[in-house]
Amino acid sequence: MKAMIIDDEPPARRELRRLLAGFPWVEIVGEAGNVDQAAEMVETLTPELLFLDIQMPGGSGFDLLTRLDDVPQVIFTTAYDEHAVRAFKVDALDYLLKPIEPARLAEALGRVRNSQAARTPRPDAILEQIFVRDGDRCWFVPLREVRLLSSEGNYIRLSWGKANPLLGRALAALEQRLDPNRFFRANRRQIINLDFIETVELGVNGRLHAQLREGPEVEISRRQARLFKTKMSI
Amino acid sequence: MNDTERPITQPKSQRVYWIFQLMGWGLFSVSRFGAAIVVLDVPWMRLALELLFVDAMGLGLSHLLRDFVRRHHWSALPLRRLSWRIVIAAFVLGTPLGIVTQITGLSALHDPASLKPYAPNISFQFSLFDSIVIEIVNSALLYIIWLTIYFSAIAVREHRSAQFKQSELARALHLAELRLLKSQLNPHFLFNALNTVRSLIADNPARAQNAVTRLAKTLRYTLTSPQNELVTLSQELDIVADYLELESMRFEDRLRIELHVPDEAAAVHIPVMLLQTLVENAIKHGIAQLPSGGLLRVSATVQNGMLMLDVENPRPPAPAVTAQEGVGLQNARDRLRLLFGARASLELDLSHPSVTTARLRIPVKP
Repeated sequence: MKAMIIDDEPPARRELRRLLAGFPWVEIVGEAGNVDQAAEMVETLTPELLFLDIQMPGGSGFDLLTRLDDVPQVIFTTAYDEHAVRAFKVDALDYLLKPIEPARLAEALGRVRNSQAARTPRPDAILEQIFVRDGDRCWFVPLREVRLLSSEGNYIRLSWGKANPLLGRALAALEQRLDPNRFFRANRRQIINLDFIETVELGVNGRLHAQLREGPEVEISRRQARLFKTKMSI
Repeated sequence: MNDTERPITQPKSQRVYWIFQLMGWGLFSVSRFGAAIVVLDVPWMRLALELLFVDAMGLGLSHLLRDFVRRHHWSALPLRRLSWRIVIAAFVLGTPLGIVTQITGLSALHDPASLKPYAPNISFQFSLFDSIVIEIVNSALLYIIWLTIYFSAIAVREHRSAQFKQSELARALHLAELRLLKSQLNPHFLFNALNTVRSLIADNPARAQNAVTRLAKTLRYTLTSPQNELVTLSQELDIVADYLELESMRFEDRLRIELHVPDEAAAVHIPVMLLQTLVENAIKHGIAQLPSGGLLRVSATVQNGMLMLDVENPRPPAPAVTAQEGVGLQNARDRLRLLFGARASLELDLSHPSVTTARLRIPVKP
């Protein structure tokens, strides 16, 4: 399993590397000392597991996750911020307190190996989930549960359950990684989840109005309406 | 003794004073009225008017007395010096009141003739002079009682307010202590240092030993330094150097350090852990936030009897979390104010776009 160590303190990285020597199936493909460097390396090296420090210069470990298209498995490593990790809403993630106890490391790695349906992320693969941070709260959002993605400048507003978190990237870039059988570009600004469509009504000028379950009514532009009809065979 | 230290008279205590005055003098009048009606063969209207006049005068004089006593801060006097002042004041006021009482005819209350039926076997022989002296002594006794009650009430009130202040002070001290402890024991630093040590044990055992010694020194200084104690800048610098050495092992080449402290500045007394707090802040909010780290500069000079101590660190473009920095700084300012009053100051200079400077000013003579 390909893993990366992300920590701003060189001694901490060396120590973790030494500890991981006891687990030959974990292959360390790279180390990064800050968020910018880490984001770049994760995209190119596509590790399956990150050992991620929380407090780092130029942004926290959470900031890194929000910037990644495809988030690998994560084990947080932290000296004292376990409260920050506990506040984190995702139980899929584990955390280790520094100095790291070898037994706890073995436990965390065991969980990673078991939970993982060994998915190897590829840059062009369809995204299943996305990491979102809204203020102090973080989530892994399963994309099939998202009703609507709306472009707001350089951000995307997700309509997900009762929450409307912002995602720091452009809609066009994300669109290519969405499941085309589930998501449909309704107009220049919005992408809808077809599973959430309740009713579709004809509008003026060949436009369509799609009413989403729990969500707003979305207008499908004339150009997209033709596509929509073909796709839904109506 | 200056005026600001006197208990301030609040509207509430003012009202209580008047209630007591009116009730006291009122009861006194009523009881004398009752006695006079029984003993004297005088129309009750005249009796009432005379009593009203005499007791109003008594009340007025006692009010003047109160003003006098307050202006001269009698309540701050020791009991012996207060006692003879009370006696003199009582006679000074008792004399006019006694004379007026005699003139108005109320003294008939004490007239032997009128008392004869109640004590037939005792012979009363009083000259006018005797009567006046008796009235003056009676009035003086009245004022002695009045002043005794007055000072007792003041003593009770001051005792209460002293108790209250004491508990307030104890609470404030406790709070300051707690906040100090919080700012001293920085768990983030502690656990990161331990992690560094663990790593060094394999990398470089000699350095690991060195790190453990320095960590022990830092912890000992942190845990045993009593509050509000002043240390020389050079003593504080010793411990800051240990701390910086540990942080250098953590950050390696990201942390660069410059110290400029001339001997005359090193001898100045500063609050313990204050420079340490500033340096910790500089690392936490400056160096640690920057991917390539930066220069931490501590420089001190002595000018016009003031120690000028500057701690400089590079500032990240978007300063993260300022709340904790606030606690540390606020704590440091509180301690400075307690120790030096307005003569010391601590300012955060953010005028330079990429450098934060904490400027500490402390008088050379505490």
